Amino acid sequence: MHKTAKINWATTLESALARARAENRMVLLDFFNPG
Amino acid sequence: MDAVTYPNPSVAEFIEENMVPLRLAFNSEPESIVFKLRWTPTLITLDAEGEEHHRTVGFLPPEELIPSLLLGIAKAHFDRDQFSEALSRLDKILADYPKSASTPEAVYLAGVARYKSTHDPKFLKEAYERLQAEYPSSEWTTRAYPYRLL
Repeated sequence: MHKTAKINWATTLESALARARAENRMVLLDFFNPG
Repeated sequence: MDAVTYPNPSVAEFIEENMVPLRLAFNSEPESIVFKLRWTPTLITLDAEGEEHHRTVGFLPPEELIPSLLLGIAKAHFDRDQFSEALSRLDKILADYPKSASTPEAVYLAGVARYKSTHDPKFLKEAYERLQAEYPSSEWTTRAYPYRLL
């Protein structure tokens, strides 16, 4: 079975929430330290 | 997370198929203030209206991240009284990740969800009995302790 190797991260809260509403999904928000 | 967990194919597949992934730097404003960020990595499950339902702080390996995310999705549904949707995720945690750190909370929450959807207290007692048998040192076993009397 093919498995996705890459996560396609949204970069704005607005775009993520809009997609979540459209796709009826929850958002995973990862606050990270880019170094 | 970038070195171990996110490159894991099962993790990437789970996130891509079940959630909308969003990454923000720790100093992003206003989000870091709105969500009261104190440390990284902080992972938060939000519903589509931006309401928080689950949060973890610190590194999680692949075998812990997936059940933690399932728990977050379940809690988002539970908080909206969508018990069937919550239970499908909780039961997957119990079946597929019985040894994860998220599992005792999933047992507890599944008992509560079944009670709230049926009003049958046997589900609370069953949750306690399972916690006592399988996770006796968990804080969730302590929280369920009163249910032994039902």
